Amino acid sequence: MSWLWFHKLGSPKWFFFWSKSWALPVFCIGCFGLVVGLVWGLAFAPEDYQQGNSFRIIYIHVPVAMLAQSCYLAMGVAGLIFLVWQMKIAPMFIKAIAPIGAVMALMAMVSGAIWGKPTWGTWWVWDARLTSVLVLFLLFMGVIALQNALEDITLANKAAAIMSVVGLINLPIIKYSVVLWNTLHQGPTFTITKKPEMPAEMWLPLLIAVVGLYCLVAGLLLWRIQSEIILREHRSNWVKQEVMGNGL
Amino acid sequence: MTYRSFLIYEFLVLWRRKQDVFNALLFFIIVVILFPLGVSAEPAFLAQAASGIIWCGVVLSILISIDHMFKEDYQDGSLEQWIVSGLSLPLLMLLKVMANWVVIILPLLIMMPLLSEMLFMPNTSFWALVLTLLVGTPGLFLIGVMGAALTVSVRQGTMLVMLLILPLYLPVLIFATSAVQAAQSGLPYSGFLAMLLALSLMSLVVSPFMTAMAIKASVSG
Amino acid sequence: MQSSASLTISDLWIERGGNDLCKGLSFSIHPGEAWRVLGGNGTGKTSLLKVIAGISMPLEGEIFYLGQNVTSDRSPLQQEMVYLGHLMGVKSALTVEENLRWYCPERSLEELHNVAKDLGLFPFLASLVKTLSAGQQRRVALARLWLSKKTLWLLDEPFASLDVEGGVMLEVCIQQHLTSGGLVLLSTHQSLSSIIPHDVVLQP
Repeated sequence: MSWLWFHKLGSPKWFFFWSKSWALPVFCIGCFGLVVGLVWGLAFAPEDYQQGNSFRIIYIHVPVAMLAQSCYLAMGVAGLIFLVWQMKIAPMFIKAIAPIGAVMALMAMVSGAIWGKPTWGTWWVWDARLTSVLVLFLLFMGVIALQNALEDITLANKAAAIMSVVGLINLPIIKYSVVLWNTLHQGPTFTITKKPEMPAEMWLPLLIAVVGLYCLVAGLLLWRIQSEIILREHRSNWVKQEVMGNGL
Repeated sequence: MTYRSFLIYEFLVLWRRKQDVFNALLFFIIVVILFPLGVSAEPAFLAQAASGIIWCGVVLSILISIDHMFKEDYQDGSLEQWIVSGLSLPLLMLLKVMANWVVIILPLLIMMPLLSEMLFMPNTSFWALVLTLLVGTPGLFLIGVMGAALTVSVRQGTMLVMLLILPLYLPVLIFATSAVQAAQSGLPYSGFLAMLLALSLMSLVVSPFMTAMAIKASVSG
Repeated sequence: MQSSASLTISDLWIERGGNDLCKGLSFSIHPGEAWRVLGGNGTGKTSLLKVIAGISMPLEGEIFYLGQNVTSDRSPLQQEMVYLGHLMGVKSALTVEENLRWYCPERSLEELHNVAKDLGLFPFLASLVKTLSAGQQRRVALARLWLSKKTLWLLDEPFASLDVEGGVMLEVCIQQHLTSGGLVLLSTHQSLSSIIPHDVVLQP
C-alpha cells in the first residue's frame, strides 16, 4: 500500500483543499441522520415495557456518550501521531476536537442525569461509568486549559499531544472499571459481537442517530480544522490567495 | 555531571529547601484534622472513613508539592544543563522523582501510626494502608511529574496541574481505598494491591519518557 | 571534507515561533579555532547555540562532529561540550563549592580550590550562591570552563555582567583553550578580534 495519502494528510494545504469539498456534505448528512433518528426514536419507537417513555432519552444519551469516547480516542491517536511522526495537522486536529469532546461528555452527563432521575430516583450516582465520563470531561478540559495557558505554539502543540496520549492510556482503565464495579448502570447498549436485545424498531433509530451524530461532528471538525489552518498558516501565499479570492 | 552527583545534589537541594517539604506535610495534617472537625468525630464513622481521608490528604499534598518541582530548575537554567549533560534525561527525571518521593513519603509513613490512631483505624487495616501507600504513591509521583513538566513554563500553574493530574489519580485512589476497605472487612486485598502495583509500573514505563519530552519542549520554546 | 573539521554545520535552518532563522547556514570549526556569532537582536544567536547544543532541534540541516552525523542524537557531542546559556544553571540553594562539585565530580578538591582562587571565589566557597552578586554568580558558572576538560565550548554572551578583570581572565582562558586545540563558539558584542578571527554573521 502506498503511504502517499498519509504524507499528504500531513500537509495543511492539501488537507484544507481536500476538506473544503467534504465538510458541508458530511455535515448535512449528519444533520439529516440525527433528525431522522431522533424523530423516529422520540415519537414513533415503541415504549419500553419496564421504563416506559423515560427510556427514550437513550436516543440522545447513547450517541453523545459514544461520541465523547470516540473524540478522546481520536484525540489520543492524533497526539501519538504527532509525537511519532511530527505530522503538522495533528495538533490542529487536537485543538479542534477537544472542545467538541468536552461538550459531548458534558451532554452525556446531563442526559444521563435526566435519565437517572426517573429510573434510579436520583440525579447523580457515583457509579463507575458516570464517574469515568466525568473524568473524561476533566481530561478534555485539561487539554483545552493546557493549550490556552502555554503561549509558545510549538510547546502548546507538544504539551497537548503528550497530555492526550497520557489520557488515552486512561481510557482502557475507564472501560475496565465498568466491568470491575458491576453497579447500577445497565450494560453497554451496543456490542459488536452480540445482536442487540432490543427489537429492531427500537435500535434502528438509535443506530441512525449515532451514525448521524458521527457525521455531524466530522463535518464540524473539518470546519474547525480549516479555520485553524488559516489562522496558523496566514503568512503563506496560498492562504492569502484563498482569502483574497474566495473570502472567508 | 554524573548520575550519582545529580542524585546527591538533588537531595542536598531538597534538604536546603526543607520548608517546602514541611509545608506539604503540614498541609496533609491539616486535611486530616479538618475531617473529624468538619464532618463527624464519631469513632465508628472515622474508622470507616480513615483510609479515604488519609489518601485524599496524601493526594492533595503530593499535588501541591509536585507543582513547583521543576520551577526553580527552569528559572535558573538547570534544565538546560541536564539536557546538554549527555546523560539520559528520562533517567535523570526518574532519579529526581525518586529523591522527591523519599523526602515526602518517608515522613508521611512515620506519621502514619499517630494519624491512624487519631482516626480510630483498626490494626487490621493499618498495615494494608501502609502497603497501599508504599505501592501506590510512586505511581502518584510519576504521574504528577508529567503535569509538572508540562506546565513548567506557566507562571501560575498550580490549578492547571491539578486539573491535568487529578483525573489520572482517580484509579490509584479508588484501588487504594478499596484495598484498605477490603482489609477492614477481613477480605483478601492482594488483588487491589496488584492493580496498584500495575498502575505504578505502567507509569514507571511511560512517565520518564513523557516527562523528558515535556521538559525538552518547555526549554526549547 | 567533514573529517578535517571538528564541528561542521551544514545548511542549517531554524524555526522559532513561526519565524525562519539562519536559513541555509553552513560553517566549520577546526581545532584551535574560535568563532564568534554576530547579528542583531532577534537574528537567532541564542537559538543557533541552543540547536548546536541539542536543547532544541533544527528544522532542517545537519550537524557533524568529528565526521560523525550527530543531528538526531547529540550525545557524542554533548560528552565533549560545555554549554553556557543566558541562564547559568547555578543552584542558588547550594554553596559555591557544592555547585562546582556537582558539575565536575571527577575533579579533586585541590584542583577545585585552585580554580576558585584564580577566579577570586575562594573566600566564598562555603557561602550560598544566592548571597553572591550577579557577576560572582557568573564566575561560578564560568569556573566550569576551567574545571571540565571538554573540547567544545558553546558560550552565549559569556561576558555579560562580568567586570573588566573577569573579562580579561575569560579572554586568557579562551586563548589557552585554543592553543591546546579546543573549539570555541560564542556570541558576544565585545570585539575580540585579537583572539577570534572568524565570524558567523546571522542575517535578519
